[in-house]
Order: sequence, then C-alpha cells, then structure tokens
Amino acid sequence: MSYSCTSRGNSQDPSSAKKKPAGNNPSRDAGGGIQTNSSATTVTGGGSQGNKEPNPTPAMKVKKGCNSADVGVPVTSEEELHANTTITPVDVLGLQKITKSYLCGPDENVYNIDFTRFKIRDMETGTVLFEITKPPSTDRAGQKKDVDRDAGRFVRYQFTPAFLRLRQVGATVEFTVGDMPIDNFRMIERHYFREKLLKSFDFEFGFCMPSSKNTCEHIYEFPPLSEELMREMILHPYETQSDSFYFVDHKLVMHNKADYSYSGGQ
Amino acid sequence: MDIGGVSRKSVPILSAEEAIATFKQDVDRPRCASTPCSPIKSTLAGYQIVHMDSNYLVGFTTGEELLKMAQQWSTSTPEQSSLPGVSPSFVTTTGPKANDLGIHRGSRILKAKSRSYQPYGVPVANGQSRRRMPSSGDTLLRSLTHGESRKGLHGPLPLCLIKGNRAQAKSLDYLNLDKMSIRESTDTEVLQYQLQHLTLRGECLFSRNQT
Repeated sequence: MSYSCTSRGNSQDPSSAKKKPAGNNPSRDAGGGIQTNSSATTVTGGGSQGNKEPNPTPAMKVKKGCNSADVGVPVTSEEELHANTTITPVDVLGLQKITKSYLCGPDENVYNIDFTRFKIRDMETGTVLFEITKPPSTDRAGQKKDVDRDAGRFVRYQFTPAFLRLRQVGATVEFTVGDMPIDNFRMIERHYFREKLLKSFDFEFGFCMPSSKNTCEHIYEFPPLSEELMREMILHPYETQSDSFYFVDHKLVMHNKADYSYSGGQ
Repeated sequence: MDIGGVSRKSVPILSAEEAIATFKQDVDRPRCASTPCSPIKSTLAGYQIVHMDSNYLVGFTTGEELLKMAQQWSTSTPEQSSLPGVSPSFVTTTGPKANDLGIHRGSRILKAKSRSYQPYGVPVANGQSRRRMPSSGDTLLRSLTHGESRKGLHGPLPLCLIKGNRAQAKSLDYLNLDKMSIRESTDTEVLQYQLQHLTLRGECLFSRNQT
C-alpha cells in the first residue's frame, strides 16, 4: 500500500466566487527510485472551522474575501519576491495576480518530487473526468535547457462549459520523492480570471518518507458561479490561469502553471 | 451542457486507445524494473492520458507541445504546413467539422504570414546583394505573437513560455551576430576600403577647387 491522504484543505474565495478546475499538472521534474510505503493515513483538512464535518457549508469552510489583506497577509508582488532568496507560503498568499514568470527554477526541486499520476473526478457522481500518468523520470543524463524545463511546468486545459457546473471535484495526485525525507509538504494553488484572484487553495501533504511513492486526494469545493461570470470565463478562453506553489519546510521548491478554457466543444 | 443548461450534442468520446493513437510515436522504452506494467508506447511529451471525459474536458496539452507547435508554425511553408487544427500533440475530441475549420484557417494564416515578411536588403558588395539573416528567435517570436490569429485554434501562448523563449532567442541572436561578423568580415573590409577611397577623392577634389 502507499501512503494516502484525503484532504479538503483550506480555501478562500470572494462571495461571488468563480469556479475553478481542480488540481494542476504533473511536474516533469525527475524523481528517484520508487518504494511503496506501507502506512495509510486519512486526513481531512477544512476551512476556517475545522475539518471534521463531512460536508461543511460554504460559509463555514471558505474564508471570506479573496483579498489577502483581509486575512492579515501582507500584499506582495512578483517583483519583490524575485529579489528574495527564499519564498515562503506567506509570500505567495500575498500575490494579487498571476505571476508572469516562475518564482523558482527547476533546479530548486532538490527533493526530486516527481508527479507520476493525476486524476480529477466529480465527487457527486464519482465520474472520472481526466486521468494522466507519467513514468518516473530515471534518465537525468541529458540535462534539458531551462527553457524546456520551464515549458514542462506548464499545462493547458480545454474544459467544456459543463465543468463550470460542478460543485465538488476531487484531485488525486501521485508522486514520488527522492532520497531525502520531506516534511511539511504543502501546496498553495491560486486561480485567477483576468489577473483577478478567484480562489486560493491550500493543501498539506504532510510528511513523506524518502524514496517513497505517495498518493493524496484533494477536494476542491466550488461555490455556485454567477451566470455572468461563467459567461465571461467561457467567452475568454485561457484568461483563467493558475499558479501552483509547492513548499517543503515553508520554502518554495516548485512552481507550476496552468491555464484553462471553458469553451471546449463549442 | 452549455451555459443555458441545454444539453450539448454528443461528441465522440476519445477512448484511451484512440487518445494514445493520436500521439506522436515515441521510441519504445524498455520496461523499468519498478514499473512492471506495459511500456508506454505513445506519449504526449512524456505523459500518457489514461482517461478523458469529453463531456467535461476536450483538450489537454503541455507547454512543450505548445512551443513545438509554435516552432512548426514559424518554420513550415503553406504547402508543407502541419495544420494545428489536427496536431496530434493537442489532444482534443472535437468533431471533424471543427478540425476542417481549423485546417482552412491555418492555411489562410500561413499564407498571410509569408506575404508580410520582407527582409530588408543590404547594400551591394562584390556585385551580390545580401539579406539580413533572420535569427531563429525572430521567426519564433513572430509566430508566438500571432495571438489573435491563433486564438481560435489553441489560444495565445502564455507569457511564461514566451519569456522563456525570448531568453533563448536572445542567445540565438547573439550567435547569429557572431556568425554574420565572421562571414561578412571580407565584405566589411571592402566597404571600409571603398569608403576611405571615396573620402580621399573627395578631399582631393576639394583641394583642387580651392587652388
């Protein structure tokens, strides 16, 4: 068996929140050898109220307001963060728009975290919407140029308008880690529409053993979207974008990006 | 289902086998000891799409594939164009009509592109006119900035990819300049020699007129 967790994480969005697709993209960063961990843990994270209720109401599980200043986080900018030697979760929580470039290089993934599988499903029906796998990268002899490795950190999704009607989406991530143990592995994912923050998700993976393969499902809960907002998102494909920041011990080690269209099939 | 709640027409669902078949063929990889399952034969830049429900998701691609498409776009001729509408590297389940539209649109865009490019000429030396050699970054960036024309196909490239390519293009520009200076040193010297003689002749004429 492999280590697994199910997390609802923390999320914050405005009252007129916009629906966002779940999860992000498997990274192309290399992983180490694979051994499976025999322990299994189920963790449920929650919003502001805690994490025990199976179906907390949106008002309870979602922090009000998307402005980071409302929750005591100082506003930051991409330019400021580029000057920092290390970037922390608090730093990215202060970002007000999508970053134009990556906040860390591919080489900063010193823990060799490698995403090998990604799956999203509709929690209400159990329908699997998308599943993708990637064999673990074992060949590191050919070092790719940074520009190619940056391209490997970006994915593009073409959803249909039907996706915007979903309320709860589970994103399962399978990943391997290198020879070093990983403590406080955490992902903060921020979604924007036209550079306006729509929703910020905060998930903790917890501890990962060295040379292990781990699976974790994060549940994204989306409040209903206004018809006008959905229309705008559909009419302007790829103007919905996301940044996924991964931290180990409160330091940024990976940064992935994605953008989304909701006009697929039209 | 569209935004009005009306159910959409059913679109052909791309099964996992069909999805794999549309990917570009990679060299067969040997089995890995830690992954005893069948080797992955067809991948999308290293990924394998196992399932895609076309009721919710009709397309997925990576940044690498987007850049490759952009490079193909910038280097291909209208006759040899690989048409983005049917590019296998962007997995899509849209119907044949949409693909045909993409093909037609792609051809028009390529033709317009080739007409608009006019490299400037360089003064004649040794009886042969020369053209400025465009750097590979120029053509790539030109294709990357055709956001509006390609929006209907795969959307504009994200800024993070363009920035990365711009950095690469700068280094390529530098290399091109080096090559140009090496190749054209003789021509430059000839021009300089001729310029010096013109200057001397001018001075001689001036001195004659004065005397």
